[in-house]
Amino acid sequence: MAVIETKGLTYTYPSGKKRTLEDVSITIEKGEFVVLTGPSGCGKTTLCRCFNGLVPHFYGGKLEGDISVTGLRVSEHSIHELARHVGLVFQNPENQLFALFVEKDVAFGLENLGVPRDEIRKRVDWALQTTGIENLRERAPHELSGGQQQRVAIACVLAMQPDVMVLDEPTSFLDPSGAQKIFEVISELNKEMGITVVLVEHRLDLASRYSNHVLVMNEGRVVLDGEPREVFNSETARLIGVGVPKATRLSQVLEESGVDLGRVPVTSGEASHILKEVLRRD
Amino acid sequence: MSVFDGLRFRMVSSPIHRLDPRAKFFFVCVMFVIAVLFNQLLPLIVLFLIQMPLVFVAGVQREWIRSLRGALFLAVMIFVINFVFAYLSPGGIQGIEPPVDTLPEYLMLFENSFALTLRFVVLIESFSVFFLTTSPDHLGLALEQSHVPYEFCFAFTTAVRFVPVLAEEAQTIMDAQKARGLELERGNFIKRIRNYIPILIPLIVNAIRRSLELAETMESRAWGATEKRTNLYVLRLKKPDYVLVMMSILMLVLAVYVRLFLPVPPLVVILQI
Ligand SMILES: Nc1ncnc2c1ncn2[C@@H]1O[C@H](COP(=O)(O)OP(=O)(O)OP(=O)(O)O)[C@@H](O)[C@H]1O
Ligand SMILES: [Mg+2]
Repeated sequence: MAVIETKGLTYTYPSGKKRTLEDVSITIEKGEFVVLTGPSGCGKTTLCRCFNGLVPHFYGGKLEGDISVTGLRVSEHSIHELARHVGLVFQNPENQLFALFVEKDVAFGLENLGVPRDEIRKRVDWALQTTGIENLRERAPHELSGGQQQRVAIACVLAMQPDVMVLDEPTSFLDPSGAQKIFEVISELNKEMGITVVLVEHRLDLASRYSNHVLVMNEGRVVLDGEPREVFNSETARLIGVGVPKATRLSQVLEESGVDLGRVPVTSGEASHILKEVLRRD
Repeated sequence: MSVFDGLRFRMVSSPIHRLDPRAKFFFVCVMFVIAVLFNQLLPLIVLFLIQMPLVFVAGVQREWIRSLRGALFLAVMIFVINFVFAYLSPGGIQGIEPPVDTLPEYLMLFENSFALTLRFVVLIESFSVFFLTTSPDHLGLALEQSHVPYEFCFAFTTAVRFVPVLAEEAQTIMDAQKARGLELERGNFIKRIRNYIPILIPLIVNAIRRSLELAETMESRAWGATEKRTNLYVLRLKKPDYVLVMMSILMLVLAVYVRLFLPVPPLVVILQI
């Protein structure tokens, strides 16, 4: 079943002269782990905003074409209705926490929905536990590291038990080990709970191992849409300047110099495995 | 960051901190009313001393003294103005036959002005006891449960949350601009104020961008989904809160009784100076 489906989605910001999204038609299935990537300014964030109705309800502007999320047509439902089904995590963790305690922040969405207190308590505890930050529950946001803040932001969204979680460059303010932890948390939500994940990311080396569907955008259009292996190995990806995983790039370079690995690796683990096989074969 | 240190609430726990903010606020209001009822020195001294134990139990002496020191200038002004005006037209002050020329009369005048100053200090004292021992979070909750519109309570707690963040940002911008050769402590008064413009502008621009991102996040977390918002925490009045409220009422009754039926003599008369 398609969780997110767009047909000919075209959008212009009220202040913009150029179309930010142009004829975007994609389908995201339930339980997928989608990585969305592309050069800066190509419209990734804008597309994410469409998923929960921030575009067009919050930003205004002209939205053409069709988009439905978990069966709801975005243009006909308000942001808070969509928020029950789609959770957004943004780039800057600091600006996503506004309560004085972590716990209170995690409860915020549920409070807005008018969920009874006992239920809020249960779900907050569950969300904190799932993201591994129970020990932070009474800390103030400004006492936390960026990585911890971002995990809190994920817990905030998780507590609302969405079907889809959209994360817009959640690790760009973090160091590699912090990023790794975030990816692990997300991947677990995807695997264990079947939450559909859309992850916007430039650092494909780390992220691509978890993904089974990659979208590449360029200048408002989705130019590549498919399996990670296939997408990363394509000529287009390299030309646009997508940060193709090093393992994939290695196999391409080897191929250019006459070494055929037979398969295209995406992660370094895969690459070493394939290389070992090839070396043994020769 | 020193400028903003006073604004940052330090998480301490004491029996006073744990009191319900509503009970504490009631107490402060009672103190306020009693202070306004009297203009004699003796009851105001009593009022001043009555609140001291709260300060010590809460362990906020240092902050408390700092806030009183902040009020020092105003207090002195109040004293001087009262003294001068009362000297010029001393009519109505007990025990003074104009013009003021004998020592007892000067003492009386002094006591009167001092009492009015102490009244101001008592007001400052009780408000600082309240704000020094109430966490912003509790205060926000109390506002919410007193049917203050949620938007307002939210704005309040969010503002408190971002004070340290903005302070840090201001420091960063200041350092960055200084590194580019901006000299803050140069020139006359007007020039010095002007020096701060290159710091204020990025600070404001950043704050606006930040608030947009916050708004986006709030929307994404179902802000305004229902009229009937629920809350993870509730404040309930407990035994100590009831004790405080009862004591406040008792003090108020006593004060009104004294004011109506017992003439309070000036300290100068009691001590027979
Ligand atoms: N609020 C806005 N109003 C007007 N134009 C905007 C707005 N937000 C983004 N844009 C424009 O839309 C285009 C796409 O921006 P968007 O933020 O979606 O790109 P992005 O792919 O997320 O880039 P990045 O990788 O840098 O985050 C840009 O040209 C940008 O200038
Ligand atoms: Mg972006």
